Amino acid sequence: MRAVVKDRIGIFNPQGFLDGTNTPTFLTIEDINATHTLKIDMLLVSLKKVIFFNRNGLDVFVKLLIDIRTKMHITVGFCDYDHKKYKAITKYYANDLNFSLFRTHKIAALFAGNNRDETKNVLVYNDDPSQRSSMAIELFDYGHNPIVAQSKGEFDEKKQNKEAYDVIIDDTHLGLFGQKVATRVTGNAIIYTVSNFLDAEISDSFNLTYHQNSLNVGFRLFIFDAYKVVSMNIHALNFFSKLASAAAEYNANICFVGLTFEKTPESFKNELEDAGILFFDNMDDILKDKETLKELGASSAAAVKNKRALTKIIVNELPRFIDATVSTIAMMTNATASKTGANVAEINIDTPEDKIASSIGFYGDLDGMVMLAFPKAIAKKACELLIGEETDDDEAILDALAEFVNIIGGRIKALLAEQNISVDITLPRTYANVKDLLNIIQDKKGVQVDLAFDEDTFVFFLTR
Amino acid sequence: MITKDNVLAYIKKIPPTPAILKQTLAAINSGELAKAAKIAEEDLALKAYLKSLVNKPIYGFKNEVTDISQIFGILGLNGSQQVLYHYMLTLLTPDKWNLFDLSANSFQDLQANLSHHWKKVLSHLNVDDKEIESAIALLPASIIVCDALFGAVIEEVQLLRSVKALDYNTILKRLNGLDLFDICALIAKKWEMEPRIGEIVQAGSGIKPSQDEQNNLLGKWMHLLLFFELSQPATAAAGLNDFIDFQVDYVEDINDDFMEIMEIG
Repeated sequence: MRAVVKDRIGIFNPQGFLDGTNTPTFLTIEDINATHTLKIDMLLVSLKKVIFFNRNGLDVFVKLLIDIRTKMHITVGFCDYDHKKYKAITKYYANDLNFSLFRTHKIAALFAGNNRDETKNVLVYNDDPSQRSSMAIELFDYGHNPIVAQSKGEFDEKKQNKEAYDVIIDDTHLGLFGQKVATRVTGNAIIYTVSNFLDAEISDSFNLTYHQNSLNVGFRLFIFDAYKVVSMNIHALNFFSKLASAAAEYNANICFVGLTFEKTPESFKNELEDAGILFFDNMDDILKDKETLKELGASSAAAVKNKRALTKIIVNELPRFIDATVSTIAMMTNATASKTGANVAEINIDTPEDKIASSIGFYGDLDGMVMLAFPKAIAKKACELLIGEETDDDEAILDALAEFVNIIGGRIKALLAEQNISVDITLPRTYANVKDLLNIIQDKKGVQVDLAFDEDTFVFFLTR
Repeated sequence: MITKDNVLAYIKKIPPTPAILKQTLAAINSGELAKAAKIAEEDLALKAYLKSLVNKPIYGFKNEVTDISQIFGILGLNGSQQVLYHYMLTLLTPDKWNLFDLSANSFQDLQANLSHHWKKVLSHLNVDDKEIESAIALLPASIIVCDALFGAVIEEVQLLRSVKALDYNTILKRLNGLDLFDICALIAKKWEMEPRIGEIVQAGSGIKPSQDEQNNLLGKWMHLLLFFELSQPATAAAGLNDFIDFQVDYVEDINDDFMEIMEIG
C-alpha cells in the first residue's frame, strides 16, 4: 500500500480490519522505502474505511510513522475517525501518545507546513488545556484565526453557531510536531513563521527544497513572520545571509517582519540588510500596501532567474515527455490526441481566453519546466475522473488540474530515472488565466508542441 | 486508459459455460447428485479442481476426499452448485496475474475462505437457498475482471492513484459508466446464472443497494465479508485491500453481529 500525496501531505488509506496479524502485510518493504523518499510535511493513516482495529494493528503503522518522523522531521499520526475510534486510540496509547490525531484530514491540513488556504476561523476544544494552547499557537502560526473554548460547555454552546466557524476542531491531539518552519502562501508571497531562538537548527527546520522550488516556479517575495523571535545567533545570521544571496539571483526579496533587536546584536541587522534583507514592523505594511507589494515583486509572478537555452539532453527526451503528457490526458479523458505542430520559439497561445494553465518544474541532474495550457473543456473532462462529477467550479477544476499535472510530473521523473537522470519535481502551479502563465514565461524560448484532442487544441511548452 | 471498447471486447471474450459443466449443473438443479457426479467425473480439470478445493484446511475434512460423488454428497445440493460456480470462475483467471500478486492456489484459497464464511453468515441469517449460497462464488469475478482490465495499464493507474485515493471500481465507472460489478452481472447473465445472483453481487459492491430487502441485506453481509477477506494477510499482501471502496456506512448496522459470528475482537 502506498501513501497518496496531496499538498505535501501523505495519507495511507487502509480498509477493513487492522490487527497484528494482517497489518504488517499492508506495508511491504518497497512501500516503506517509497514512503521514506516522499517529499512531504505530514504523513497520516486515515481510519475512515477501517471498521475494526486493535493496538497491535495500529502499532505496525505507528512504528513506520515514528521512524519517518525521526528521519524526516515531519508531523505524523492518524486521521478520519469518529469519537469512538478517538477514545480507543487515546486509551491504547494513554502513556505514549507521541503522534498526532486529527479528526479529519481537513483539520490535519490546517496544521501542515504548506498552507495555501485563506485564513480560517477555527473553533478549538480539547480537555487538556496545554493541547488547546498548542493548537491555538500552531493555527495562528499557520495564518489562521483560532477561537479557543475553555470548557466543554463553552464549546458545545459555541459550536451551535456553525456559520461563525470555517472549521470546528475536537477529538484532535497534537503529538510531537515535525518542528518544520510553518509556511503559508498569500497571493504571490510566501510567509514563513519563525519563533523563539534562531540558531543552527534553522537549517534543519527550514524546508530549503520547498523554498528553492518556490523560487523556481516564480515566487519573488518571501516574508519571515518574526514577531515571536527572541534572538538570533551567528549561525542563523549566516543561514539567512546565504538565503538572501540565493534569492538575489532570482530578483526575489526576503523580508523580516516584527523582529526586534533587544537580545540580538544590532550589527546583525546591518549585516542582513547588506545581504539584501528588508525589515518591516508590521505585516500589514507589506500585505495591505499594493505599491510596496509591487516594488517587492509580489504583484505578479516573475520570470526565472536567467534565460537559459534548452539542453540537448532535454530536447532528446522531449518526445517521451510529450508521450507522457498525451497518454496521461488520454488516460484521464479516454480521448485520443494528435500532434498538430512543434516549434522552438516563444510561446504562442491561440484564444488564450478559453484556456487555463498549469506548470511543473523538475530539478536535479537537469532542470526544466513544463507548462500546459488547456482548453477548459479538456481540463473539465480530465477533472471528472478525479472528482467524480461534472463541475463548473473554477477552484475545483484548478485543484484537480494540479493533481493532473502532478501525475505528468511524476511520469517525467520516472522517464528520466530510466535514463539514470535523477530529478525532483516541484509542486504544481495552476493559473486561472493564461496571462499569469505568460507573465512567468515572458519572452523565454522553449519548445512548443500543439496537440489536438478531439475538437480542442492543447499547448505543451517546455523551457528552462 | 480503458475505453468502453476494451470492456466490451473483454466481455465478448468470456467463454460460454462448457457443456459438461452445464450438464452437471442441470443434474444438480434436478436434485440428482449421483448423476451430477458421474458427469463431472468426465472432466479431469473439473475433477482436479474440486478435489483441490474441498481438501483445503478450511473445509475441515479429517481425511482426504477424492471421490466426486463423495464430494457432492458432503457438500449437498447448495454447496455442490457453489463449487461448480467457483470452478467456472477459474476459467476466467489469467495464467499470470498482472495487477495483483495472486496465483491459482492463492485465488482458490480466497474462494474457499469466502465459501466457508458465507456459509456461517447464511446460517446466522437462517437462509437455506441454493442460489444465495452460490452467489458468493461470483464475487471474486470482480477481482479477475479488475486484473484483466487494469493489468495492461499498471503504470498509468498507479500514477493516478499516487495523487488521488481512487479505487479501481471508481476509476472504471468514471471512465466508462460501467463498473466491475456491472461486468460481474454480465458474466452471470452469459453463464445463465439465476438473475438474483447478479443482483446480490451488485449489492455486495456496497454502492448499489438492492430494492429487494433480503437481497440488500445479503449484499451488506457480502460487502463486509469481502472486506474481511481483503484484510487477511494473504489478500492484503496481494494488493487487494483497496481494489474497491469499502462502504463502512452501508454495513454499520450489521457490524456487531458480524464481529460476533467471526469471533473478532
